[in-house]
Amino acid sequence: MRKSPFLFFFLFVSLQNGISQPNCLAFQYAGEETKYLSCLETEKCAGHYQFSREFQTHLDHAIALDSTWGYPYRAKSVAYLKSGEFIRWKQLVDKAVLYNPADNLGYRGWCRYQFFRDYTGAIADIEKLETIVNYDIGYSVNGDYHLKVAKALCYKALNQKEKAIEIIEAHFLSEEYFPGNYDYLHLGVLYLETGQSEKAQEAFLLQQERNPIAESHYYLAIDYFQ
Amino acid sequence: MSRISLLKCIAVLGLLASCRSEKPATLEEYPRWVGDIGFDSNLDDPAFQLCKDDYRAKQYFNMNEGVQFEGEKPAIDTYFKNAYKKPENSNQSGLIRIRFMVNCKGETGRFRLISSNNEYQSMAFSEEISTQLLELTKGLEGWKPLKMNSLEVDYYQYLIFRIEKGEIIEILP
Repeated sequence: MRKSPFLFFFLFVSLQNGISQPNCLAFQYAGEETKYLSCLETEKCAGHYQFSREFQTHLDHAIALDSTWGYPYRAKSVAYLKSGEFIRWKQLVDKAVLYNPADNLGYRGWCRYQFFRDYTGAIADIEKLETIVNYDIGYSVNGDYHLKVAKALCYKALNQKEKAIEIIEAHFLSEEYFPGNYDYLHLGVLYLETGQSEKAQEAFLLQQERNPIAESHYYLAIDYFQ
Repeated sequence: MSRISLLKCIAVLGLLASCRSEKPATLEEYPRWVGDIGFDSNLDDPAFQLCKDDYRAKQYFNMNEGVQFEGEKPAIDTYFKNAYKKPENSNQSGLIRIRFMVNCKGETGRFRLISSNNEYQSMAFSEEISTQLLELTKGLEGWKPLKMNSLEVDYYQYLIFRIEKGEIIEILP
């Protein structure tokens, strides 16, 4: 069968950007034999719980075949993350970042924020990602927040609220902006906490228009009360 | 195919099979699940009993219900805020995780503690912090029994404390 350049491009892109199980054939096509074999080993994880001995062992085999591939490190790290074992998690996810920073810096940054409230670490990862890619840095792994909004929330937690507002406002103006489920709520709260009542009301009303959650009503009521 | 060729093929296949089953030296040994806590008579209260076998224990999030505690997260925060005594002049900062099991009656046991500095490198906190948090966690009552498919389960739960100069600044999850 003649191999189409388009097929190769599709496989390559899905392999580079995806966080799910990679397409092993793309490695084979690219002539990366050890990575291909390692990838086949990771496919054996299918059907096993990510905490399980079987899942972890297949990934160890994959790493033994190619220790410079980020994917199995990250896949291994998830069970440690979810069980709160931050020391082992960090060792593993650091390897994933080392071998593929573009795909893993945003992930590590988000996890530092969500699981450990490591605001400075999260900011460092997201800002590092911004310096090494020339495309949209993407979303949190749960899909709720663009990473720029996540970064702003970290600055807010560090009490740098003006900087957080600046980041979100700039993000809203960017071509790549797609409204997130909670973006206007967070911006509204930031306005509220920095004494910008009218802007806060506007943001809460926009939040209600796009995704009417209880929190936007609650903060709007606080804003009206003040 | 001649008999000799067939024998050669079998020999090569056998060699390949033996290579595949050879375990790389770097492989770790794992329990049933990452983080499983077996009973240790030196550490654990024998009065604490799981309702089912160890290998049936779940993670708290397996039931998609989040942390299940009477009064929810604010009750946990309030308990530690009121009970924890910050040591004087402590400069220690980092993370402490206390993981334990909750049985189908809501009782807790098999507590284990790990800790790190803010760079996620293993670091021991003073006993004034670590032992105090361990004892407070052991005394924390209100964990709800969980069910999966209408059946009661034993499960693993954890609390992570972010410490800044001896003070608790966040409790997770």
